[in-house]
Amino acid sequence: MLRPGVCSRREPRAGTQGETVDAIALENVTKSYDGVEAVSHISLRVRQGAILGLLGPNGAGKTSTIRMVMNILVPDEGSIRIFDRPISDDARQSIGYLPEERGLYPRMPVQSVIVFLAALRGMPEAEAERRAREWLDRFELGDWAEKKVQDLSKGMQQKVQFISAVLHKPPLVILDEPFSGLDPVNAATVKNIMLEMRDEGSTVVLSTHRMEQVEKMCDSICLIDKGRNVLDGDLRSIKQSYGKNTIEIEFTGSDSFLNHPAVASVNRLGLGAEAKLKAGADPQQVLRAAVESGALITRFELREPSLTDIFIEKTGHA
Amino acid sequence: MRKIWLIIKREYLTRVKTKAFVISTLIVPVLGIGFVLLIAFLVSHAPQQNLRLVIVDKAGGLAAPVKQNLEAALAGGKREFTVADTVERPTAASDVERELRNRINRGALDAYLVIPAELAEPVELHTKNPGNFTLLEPLTLAVNKAVIGARLSARGIHVDDIDEISRGVDLEVIKVSQSGESVEKGQTLALAITLVVLLYMSLLMYGIITMRSVLEEKTTRTMEVLISSVRPLQLLTGKILGVAGAAFTQFFIWVISLGLFASYGAAMAALLNPTSSFPSLHVPLSLLVGVVCFFFGGYFMYSAMFAAIGSACSSEQDAHQLQWLAMTPLVFTMVIYSVVLNDPTSKAAVVLSEIPLFAPVLMPLRMSLQMPPVPQIILSLVLLLGAILGAIWASAKVYRVGVLMYGKRPTLPELLRWLRYS
Repeated sequence: MLRPGVCSRREPRAGTQGETVDAIALENVTKSYDGVEAVSHISLRVRQGAILGLLGPNGAGKTSTIRMVMNILVPDEGSIRIFDRPISDDARQSIGYLPEERGLYPRMPVQSVIVFLAALRGMPEAEAERRAREWLDRFELGDWAEKKVQDLSKGMQQKVQFISAVLHKPPLVILDEPFSGLDPVNAATVKNIMLEMRDEGSTVVLSTHRMEQVEKMCDSICLIDKGRNVLDGDLRSIKQSYGKNTIEIEFTGSDSFLNHPAVASVNRLGLGAEAKLKAGADPQQVLRAAVESGALITRFELREPSLTDIFIEKTGHA
Repeated sequence: MRKIWLIIKREYLTRVKTKAFVISTLIVPVLGIGFVLLIAFLVSHAPQQNLRLVIVDKAGGLAAPVKQNLEAALAGGKREFTVADTVERPTAASDVERELRNRINRGALDAYLVIPAELAEPVELHTKNPGNFTLLEPLTLAVNKAVIGARLSARGIHVDDIDEISRGVDLEVIKVSQSGESVEKGQTLALAITLVVLLYMSLLMYGIITMRSVLEEKTTRTMEVLISSVRPLQLLTGKILGVAGAAFTQFFIWVISLGLFASYGAAMAALLNPTSSFPSLHVPLSLLVGVVCFFFGGYFMYSAMFAAIGSACSSEQDAHQLQWLAMTPLVFTMVIYSVVLNDPTSKAAVVLSEIPLFAPVLMPLRMSLQMPPVPQIILSLVLLLGAILGAIWASAKVYRVGVLMYGKRPTLPELLRWLRYS
């Protein structure tokens, strides 16, 4: 699964027998606020060169986990290692970070903010300036470089914040809700940049609620609920483990066939429905029942469960 | 070090480049000079006071000398009084006075002076404008001179001798210091008070600016990005130094422009009026160095405290409620500085000026009044340095916890608990 070139980014340390080290390794990490466990015994490994989607309902502990990786919060228990080293200021230098709470100096010009933050992370200022212009152009913010941050719209500020997270070419990027507030065009740009970064060997961790984005780009996922890691692993193998147990059907007319005994649960959609089958049930029976009921079927597809389905099944709520 | 430097640079440049900074830097000296010029103009072009009055002399024999004295009283080379009339021993005093009151109300007269029959009673000045007490002194002088003259001549002293007998002496105060003697015309006191006010104001002002700057990073949520790339102590240090740089830039421009103006003014005054002895203000270099050292020290200590307060709060309102923590010692200094002013060598003054919280204002004050022994100055500086390190250490702790803590304003016990966090 590892791409060539990924290993060369960080020299494997002695004792790992030529295998690459994990970009992030969480071991039994726990964090409580006033006696309430926000993160409970989470263990997770993110291999280098992967895009990991950190999923979970609101308040699941995603942001707390990310903040602990960034050493903004200190875990009560457990250990966190970045590229097989304990968290230190050096280790943090190699991380590009987009916090959940966006924040830029409102009265500073856009380009100056980007250059300042990149310089703080060790990039020479002249180079930071050159790259800032490139990135601003890419996000169609070239004309705004000298404007103050506070004059930009929310979405534009979001793009500036994203630029400042990735400008210094970090080997590890951690993005908390990178798509929030972005229109589809910009969301696609952000997605493409993440894929490019992965192709260049960087590791990307992102938390999001946008399942369709995760399905399009993530190699692996980690599903957190109530502070616990309920599911993690390679996205494709997770999906395969569920098998093709979901019918997506578009039709007009009576929906009485959805009461068929082989159907476990139904999710009504605008043009039809999504039906999850009971274990071992034959999808053909449902199709036959639909035809016999007189409904006009325009589409019938048997597929693996979507990430949304898995999410809902694992967490019990949307 | 590079990071601290970057933070200093950003803090300095974003401050210095603002319109508000440029305007306030330019406008304060302009306003200050304008104000001084306005006062000078008003004083020199003040409408000439000329009090028209009538003297009612119930005792008799005094009206003429009082009139003579009044009309001889000059202010800026011009007469201050015009005696319109004199009434000696009026038979119907109350009628005369009623008539005079009518004349005052009509605007034909400004005042009338009643000299009582028995001089044990007070002399009365009836006037429409009793607020104008610049005229009272020459008036009293004129009457006193006339009365004393009358008494002396009653005892057989010749009128020509009276002036000589009654002439007083002047008192001149001369300040003795290591550097010699200088004639004192209140400039030491003026310098001392100016120093106290200047130090107090600037410590408070730049402290609050630092606090606001921390608060801004918190309220705009820039903090989380920053804290992921720099250590809190680096951020704190850079911020304090950056604000200090901007403050000193402004201060420097003010002092230079005011200094230039003052020396220009003094030169002009000397040119126009060579006899006027402009009080020479001798500021020794040691005082200047002392003021700068103590101001720096005080600034670092207080702004560390203000920064900690800023980091503990989530809004400007919260900060206003907590800033008394750092303001109290400063305000207290303003309450007790008179102890030092009255007797700079007293035990209380010496002890107070050694305490780091008060030293930044009180030690320069002592130095301006009477140079304290060098060991005392050094001890005070050493204690201040210790306090700075302590304040920055404690602030960095509060800062580390506070900068990412949002919500309820912490109480004092909570703040103290933060100090114990690793």
